[in-house]
Amino acid sequence: MFSKLALKNVTKSMKDYTVYFLTLMFGVCLFYMFNSLDSQAAMLQISQSQQETLKSLSGIIGYVSIFVSVILGFLVVYANGFLMKRRKKELGVYMTLGMPKGKISFIIILETFLIGLFSLTAGLVAGIFLSQGMSVVTAKLFESNLSKFVFTFSGGAFWKTLVYFGVMFLVVMVFNMMSVSRLKLIDLLSAGHKNEKLRIRRLWISVILFLLSVGCLATSYYLIEKNGIFLINNRFIASLLLGIIGTLLFFLSLSGFLLRVVKSNRKLYFKGLNMFVLRQFNSKINTTFVSVSVICIMLLITIGTLSTGLSVSQVLSKDLRTACPYDVTMMGYPGHQETESGSTVTVVSPDDEKNIDILASLKKAGIDLSQYSDSYAQVKVYEDKTVPYGHFLTKDNWPQIMGEYSEENASSSRMYLIPLSDYNALMKMQGKPSLALASDQYAVNCTYENLIPAYQRAVQNGTAITIDGKKLEPLKTVLSIGYFDSSSGSDIGTLILPDSFFGTKKSAVTYLNLNYRPGTDAETADSSLKSASINSDVFPFACSFVSKKATYERANGSKTIASYLALYIGLVFLIAAAAVLALQQLSESSDNAERYGLLRKLGAEEKTVNRALFTQVGLYFLLPLSLAVIHSAVGIDTVNKALVTVGKMDILGNIIMTASIFVVVYGAYFLATYLGSKSMIRQKEIYRRRE
Amino acid sequence: MEQILKVEHLEKYYGTRGNVTKAVDDIGFEVQKGEFVGIMGASGSGKTTLLNCLSTIDAATAGHILLEGTDITRLKAKQLSKFRRTKLGFIFQDFNLLDTLTAYENIALALTITGTPASEIDPRVKHVAEELEIGDILAKYPYEISGGQKQRVACARAIVTKPALVLADEPTGALDSKSSRMLLESLETLNDDLQATILMVTHDAFTASYCRRILFLRDGMIFDEIVRGQDTRKQFFSRIIEVQTLMGGDNSNVL
Repeated sequence: MFSKLALKNVTKSMKDYTVYFLTLMFGVCLFYMFNSLDSQAAMLQISQSQQETLKSLSGIIGYVSIFVSVILGFLVVYANGFLMKRRKKELGVYMTLGMPKGKISFIIILETFLIGLFSLTAGLVAGIFLSQGMSVVTAKLFESNLSKFVFTFSGGAFWKTLVYFGVMFLVVMVFNMMSVSRLKLIDLLSAGHKNEKLRIRRLWISVILFLLSVGCLATSYYLIEKNGIFLINNRFIASLLLGIIGTLLFFLSLSGFLLRVVKSNRKLYFKGLNMFVLRQFNSKINTTFVSVSVICIMLLITIGTLSTGLSVSQVLSKDLRTACPYDVTMMGYPGHQETESGSTVTVVSPDDEKNIDILASLKKAGIDLSQYSDSYAQVKVYEDKTVPYGHFLTKDNWPQIMGEYSEENASSSRMYLIPLSDYNALMKMQGKPSLALASDQYAVNCTYENLIPAYQRAVQNGTAITIDGKKLEPLKTVLSIGYFDSSSGSDIGTLILPDSFFGTKKSAVTYLNLNYRPGTDAETADSSLKSASINSDVFPFACSFVSKKATYERANGSKTIASYLALYIGLVFLIAAAAVLALQQLSESSDNAERYGLLRKLGAEEKTVNRALFTQVGLYFLLPLSLAVIHSAVGIDTVNKALVTVGKMDILGNIIMTASIFVVVYGAYFLATYLGSKSMIRQKEIYRRRE
Repeated sequence: MEQILKVEHLEKYYGTRGNVTKAVDDIGFEVQKGEFVGIMGASGSGKTTLLNCLSTIDAATAGHILLEGTDITRLKAKQLSKFRRTKLGFIFQDFNLLDTLTAYENIALALTITGTPASEIDPRVKHVAEELEIGDILAKYPYEISGGQKQRVACARAIVTKPALVLADEPTGALDSKSSRMLLESLETLNDDLQATILMVTHDAFTASYCRRILFLRDGMIFDEIVRGQDTRKQFFSRIIEVQTLMGGDNSNVL
């Protein structure tokens, strides 16, 4: 009997709260899909390093999943509280019929169990099937091929999902039992008649609070713009706090402010159901402003992760062709060479810099480069008696990568010098015509896009430099040739001088750039050269090794990690936020059925009533989104500014993608909520008439 | 006198073939402009069904209802809402005020639904409020005022659109006797001063005694009709009790 009651209740609430169950299902589905990533490796043709990437990705996802499960847990508990509140009257009826609390608890627990069972089963089944499709995406992100289609099933992810969500539902059961034991019959039966006390009465207070919130937000934006997003200090924290306070105040006061504004225009206020809709909005926002603010911040996180997360990864992998013009770069510099046992030996003292000669050291160790390549060149880079960056760059275009601009910084950080012959060897490697300089001429090389215009202006103006007491005139165009491979940076400005200037100078860094002969297996060649580079018997100085292939794969790996994390976190936050909004509106609509029914009795047309409902639901969905969009515009702008040092982001494409995800997911939630509410407020007797 | 409402052979059946309940069984009557008519009857006598048919909330099975010459049983769903908002005013037992709106806005709402120009709204609301002596509580929310005041706000809302007919469904049902008296006096004022035509459903003899004419329903049919004429309210009350005794009231089947 009781089980039958529970089953009936579940089916009934499923009908009313389809949105919630679908969200739950979707959450389970996402959880499984992302946790089953490592098992998809079976389908992919990927290299060792990519497998490692996948492994570390699933490691990170494991940690993120804890966070995600907390978010989903909150959603479940919150939604459940909503459902319980809605059912107070029903529980009251059980109690008046003399049903003991134990039995009521039993019914509730059974219901929770059934709901959990249903959503888990459906979500897991969907997840298992959808994760097959995800392999294709993974393959694409890794730029590899699907070897063959294998239906994969991740037992680990399966059990993990079961345990995580099982715990969630257990918590909900405990919450429900607690709320049943706290039930009082009198409260239950009069539950429907309690009016919500208006917390802000006076509209002018709302106006002041609203202005205050705008002030808070503006200050917050100003601070974060000024401070930058990656520098966590007091200003950053102040900006964050002001942002949160501003958001809360904004939603607390917004409805009152709107009401005040619209009220002052009687024509607008007394038009159709405007007055009704605004009052509806105003009456609920006082209790929901906290959740609406939280939703706004969740949406901000979603927009932020989706648009910048993907962009960051693109920036990292973009321009690899210019960042890595050679197959391999070995960079020798004075310092410690780490031996295989982990201890370090100092081999070359900084005074001995002249001894850094990679080619010679390789030869001495008997490593024959010609087995891999017949195109390589060594470049020596000098720092002695050079000009500071401040000679070319000003405060306005000072690259952040060199720290905050200051007079001292501008005059102390010095530009590197390269001899013309070394430079021309590289030009030859790249198949470009060699450069010719007069004996009193210099050239500027820069591969860092954002600075090229500044240098260009300087050389156009004929900025001269003086080295060793000799004045040099510039070549009137800025060169842009990478003289080393790098995974992290580019050349922010190097001077090329005629060889005659370098006679007795000591080099600071020596690069050996190398291109493999076609047909060489890059992976094995890389590994043998790399092991040489860390061998203190080969190089009596510190040497770092960068290979194009490894850099590519690493970049692709981090792109994959960033994309998946952004999608995972973004989607979970999005569905959680949208589901909370939808639930609030749905439960409110069932409360509002009476109000809308009255409007009909008063003779408001069906169309007008529906429009009022649409506006009401629309306001709830749109307002947190709008503020989140404004927040994220500022956020994205600061991230963009911070990343300018690394390269330009293609933010537009990602914003379009984020927007389309929003339109689809958020839009679907909105539509479902509107349609659900509409059917809830529809009073049957009115329709009986013309059937 | 101008005829406002004419009900002809109205029937409303519930249930399916073989198991039919005749909630309203061949009822016919007329209401003139400016009348204050009461409909009395015990629970189950069909008075609420009759009111639902009149208010177009429910559809009649057979018969005609003519309001100012329009047969409302033949109106399409779209015309119905227009009919309701222009021709009818409602007063409900449980007030049915919107708790999110102030008293003023509750009254104004009826006007905004009919699309009254904003400039006309304020004077009309104020005028009706004056008439019903609720001018001083207009800025308050429903939960801040008493039941009697709420019902008078509801009256104001019903009357502010100047409807052809005001339908009141047990308006004193949720009020104490003092508030009831005040409300009924207000209705009388509306009836006298503003020439509002009121059709009130009640089962309470005291409430009904404020009407000018009373129709008694039993088992879906008109059992009796009495007119107050020159009687005082007290005399009229006694006559109502007499008819009720004759009808047997709620306990007729028990005795």
